[in-house]
Amino acid sequence: MSAVTRPSRLLDPGMCLTLRPMAYPKFFEMYRAGIKNTWTVEEIDFSTDLGDLRNKMTAAERHLVQRLVAFFATGDSIVANNLVLNLYKHVNAPEARMYLSRQLYEEALHVQFYLTLLDTYVPDPEERFRAFAAVENIPSIKKKAEFCFRWIDAIGELDALDSCAKRRQFLLNLVCFAACIEGLFFFAAFAYVYFLRSRGLLHGLAGGTNWVFRDESAHMAFAFEVVATVRREEPDLFDASFEEDVARMMAEAIDCETAFAEDLLAGGIAGLSVRDVRRYLEVVADQRLATLGLAKRYGSKNPFPFMDLQDVQELANFFERRVSAYQVGVTGEVALDASF
Amino acid sequence: MNIDRIPSNGTSSLRSHVAPTHDSVRPSITPSCPPDSEPESGAFASTSMRVTKRSGRTEPVNLDKIVRAVGRCAAGLADVDAMRIATRTISGLYDGATTSELDRLSIQTAAAYIVEEPQYAKLAARLLATYIDKEVRGQEIQSFSQSIAAGQRLGLVAERLSEFVAANARKLNDAIDPKRDREFEYFGLRTVYDRYLLKHPETRLVIETPQQFFLRIACALSDTVSEAVELYDLFSSLAYLPSSPTLFNAGTRHEQLSSCFLLDSPDDHLETIYQRYADVAMLSKFSGGIGLAYHRVRSRGSLIESTNGHSNGIVPWLKTLDASVAAVNQGGKRKGACCVYLEPWHADIEEFLELRDNTGDEASRTHNLNLANWIPDLFMRRVELDGEWSLFDPKIVPQLPDLFGEAFEAAYVDAEDRGLAHKKVKARDLYARMMRTLAQTGNGWMTFKDKSNKACNQTALPGRVVHLSNLCTEILEVTSAGETAVCNLGSINLARHVKTDGGRAELDWDKLARTVRVAVRQLDQVIDLNYYAIPSARASNERWRPVGLGLMGLQDLFFQMRLPFDAPEARELSRRISEEVYFHALSTSVELAAQKGAHPAFAETRAARGELQFDAWGVVPADAPRWDALRRRVREQGLRNSLIVAIAPTATIASIAGCYECIEPQVSNLFKRETLSGDFLQVNRYLVAELKGLGLWNDAMRARLKLAEGSVQSLEELPADLRAVYRTAWEIPMRSLIDMAADRGAFIDQSQSLNLFIENPNIGQLSSMYFYAWKRGLKTTYYLRSRPATRIAKATVESPAPKPSEGDPRAAAGWTPAPGAAAEASPTATKDAAAVACSLENPETCEACQ
Repeated sequence: MSAVTRPSRLLDPGMCLTLRPMAYPKFFEMYRAGIKNTWTVEEIDFSTDLGDLRNKMTAAERHLVQRLVAFFATGDSIVANNLVLNLYKHVNAPEARMYLSRQLYEEALHVQFYLTLLDTYVPDPEERFRAFAAVENIPSIKKKAEFCFRWIDAIGELDALDSCAKRRQFLLNLVCFAACIEGLFFFAAFAYVYFLRSRGLLHGLAGGTNWVFRDESAHMAFAFEVVATVRREEPDLFDASFEEDVARMMAEAIDCETAFAEDLLAGGIAGLSVRDVRRYLEVVADQRLATLGLAKRYGSKNPFPFMDLQDVQELANFFERRVSAYQVGVTGEVALDASF
Repeated sequence: MNIDRIPSNGTSSLRSHVAPTHDSVRPSITPSCPPDSEPESGAFASTSMRVTKRSGRTEPVNLDKIVRAVGRCAAGLADVDAMRIATRTISGLYDGATTSELDRLSIQTAAAYIVEEPQYAKLAARLLATYIDKEVRGQEIQSFSQSIAAGQRLGLVAERLSEFVAANARKLNDAIDPKRDREFEYFGLRTVYDRYLLKHPETRLVIETPQQFFLRIACALSDTVSEAVELYDLFSSLAYLPSSPTLFNAGTRHEQLSSCFLLDSPDDHLETIYQRYADVAMLSKFSGGIGLAYHRVRSRGSLIESTNGHSNGIVPWLKTLDASVAAVNQGGKRKGACCVYLEPWHADIEEFLELRDNTGDEASRTHNLNLANWIPDLFMRRVELDGEWSLFDPKIVPQLPDLFGEAFEAAYVDAEDRGLAHKKVKARDLYARMMRTLAQTGNGWMTFKDKSNKACNQTALPGRVVHLSNLCTEILEVTSAGETAVCNLGSINLARHVKTDGGRAELDWDKLARTVRVAVRQLDQVIDLNYYAIPSARASNERWRPVGLGLMGLQDLFFQMRLPFDAPEARELSRRISEEVYFHALSTSVELAAQKGAHPAFAETRAARGELQFDAWGVVPADAPRWDALRRRVREQGLRNSLIVAIAPTATIASIAGCYECIEPQVSNLFKRETLSGDFLQVNRYLVAELKGLGLWNDAMRARLKLAEGSVQSLEELPADLRAVYRTAWEIPMRSLIDMAADRGAFIDQSQSLNLFIENPNIGQLSSMYFYAWKRGLKTTYYLRSRPATRIAKATVESPAPKPSEGDPRAAAGWTPAPGAAAEASPTATKDAAAVACSLENPETCEACQ
């Protein structure tokens, strides 16, 4: 008999192992695309970063950078924890779990990248320990971490998504990590990096973050694809109260991130005002809501034109930057008459 | 800080109240009427904001003053909005910022709007020019001669130059034309400011303006005032620029003006291997790019007689080179860079091809080195015939690097027959590995040894061999243990050689000829002025006196003429440009030979026998009598330079000139340049002008352009002929680029940095493409450009939301939904699903994804 019984819906409880026929080839394609974009920390060139920190940047800018890196170093670990404890458990399709495994590797890679960065940027061991303890002793980071933990814990007790209420709870966790943590907190952090990058500062940080950014974009796309799939399979889950919950969560995330901005920008940095950061967050939040198929709520305009820079193709001069736009896992046979 | 909540629907379009007249822009300031919808309204609320002046005093931020300052720079720029720049600048400011921060922020703000309106690039450039001017004048430097005098006092400027300038101060000061600053786009001026202008060693303030910089370079490369003024005119009009090392170093205390150095392989001895590290470091220090062959060094497993041990092959040596290259920082201006060449018969070739992989043992990885394959014809023929290929240890078969053509093939086959091969592989397997390296790293450039030698003016006598090309694969010169090849480069900007005849843009051939003549004299001059970091470089350069005159802005020319890159007219025009450049360059070199004498090795060249480049290609030029006359003059007078034409990649100088790089098609209508000075947005201003003409340049269009990664192929509103003109490198058939390069090649006595572009490469495509490049007789190719498999999510435009109505692809595979599941597939969804399933089973051949 050729037909295989698989769970009919993505969030049905269980441990499905059947890859053929494949229910969700898109997840598998995402997995393969992720592998093509493999990079390593060793490829990143930090050689000019320390000079920039020492000679080219103000105390206010150094403060911004150290706080940012401290946030990243813990942020990716938090995402990885949620992935293992919650997402992997409940997204019941082997091809989706393949993607999540890949994502887990990428989160570890990001942690390694920011670890290397902190070790490089913060030479004093005592200071370094403090930076790694950011979730505990830096209030603005602590606040963001608490927001994340609350949503991890919210479904920690769920063993099986066997009711609509539980499925909705799970979806809120997924949306929180995709739209608020990776999609908003990280996107805000990327904006600061891009701001510095647009001024030619910290190429190591910018280069690595660019790759992190590329990975995070893929993670978000995956999570949103899961949401879209669930919406297709179980449209009833997406009712008005769900929409209201997402909106409230988003508003809280914006507040957390704005408070973080106040800390980051406390020293005054020309070109980055807290007011503009908040507007930028609102723009990003609206985009996430729209991608989730929900109504936009803020209607702000992007105040950071330098973010245009990350929306377009890169062209690096190899004398100056290492070119980052290549793929791994190229395949095929030699042919002399293929079209090109 | 108190954050005001912005009402979500309070946006009305109240923007742009700068009168768009052509000669003056008068912003009307009406604080009750914010110019750019909601984001700016916040700025007006914060009138309490103060700035700190240079004196240390603070004053309230004055919008009016900023608007006036911006407005002064906006003259003639009809589509810029000074008010908008001023208000946005204030919005990004913090309380207590300095006035100089404010100035810089206004420049960055203007630059940020380039995508929306390319005229902001001009505005930002003018604001920056004003800023630079203030910086220079603030140090009591009011004129060119004062700038040189300051450089002299600070120990930056060469004695020779400061004496020349002091003796001709009045004439030279009068030659400066400040209006030429307006030729710059922002990115170009920014590059000049950040990295080319001389800086005070302690304060790091620049001590010359961009025009004073150009005149300094011109004076340093001239014997007389009139020569200097002629050169200055070319530089400042951006019609021709010498290469970066010349721009960095001319007129300074270290006049290392050459771009490229080609070092022969070290001999198979520890001493020469270490001597080469020192050579590379010395040459890198002053901005040179290095090519280094490694054909002669024994391979892994080879016996070391003195210690009775076995060699670890070339990889550990290259690992050391990698570290050495990374350690040399070219005065903070750019990083050292080196390309290692290896012939594919070397037994370490497989490890060599993995040096740039990003996985595997780090001890065998060299992330800072570039790699190139130096490929004999025999290898390509074995690939064609699907034959075997033998790998040799150069310790056992040492003669191969110094042979090419039939002599190489005889020696290679003889070594095979004598059973000396270390290993045999299928030629196609090795070729596939080369292709994989290209696809995965862009490196492992394919350069062809036999054509490079047979069509080189310097290889007329036996024993003269080109062993490698350079860092950018456009230089081909002989090397030996005692001769390190050197090349000085400069490039003509074709975008500035266009005239309009009856509304039609066409190439200005007379101007091109004049530019070539001035440029060749300047390049020749560099040979005598140059500082040589190692003796073997001087030895070679004095004998051969090679120079490399190149081109940039070919794409600009095609845009101005509205020619698709692969149109037959474009191909013919490109060929003719190269023929003209070669003709006038040779003519100038003959004249120089008549005045100053031919280069010492002239009698040993092919030119002395009357052979010119196109003869080696079997090409007969269009105007044969003209060439025959020139050929006679070459034989009678000799040439001042053994090699004259080379098309360099022009990465940095094309930025300064604001044109597209060398002979390359654009990569996108919208892209960013990543440089040491930061990232810069570039939008195709020719396209924007066309779209404006059609009334199509608006927010929606910009968003679509971004989402399409800078491609216009989905813009149905744009007429098809224009869509063809504005294709990107990813959308032009690579066959046409190769054909164009081959046509041009007959008039290029060195070579060209030819990048090839395949968005999503596979081995089949690549192997066919490089095979074709070899068949067409190209001497060298450069990077393979490809694109990442996934992209960063767009932050400033919305991606379309995923469609919720995709069918269940399992249906295609005979799957039946479990009872109760809502899986209904529409007919189209089933078709899409079939395509997906097919691509999963058979990813390389599925038409649906190509």
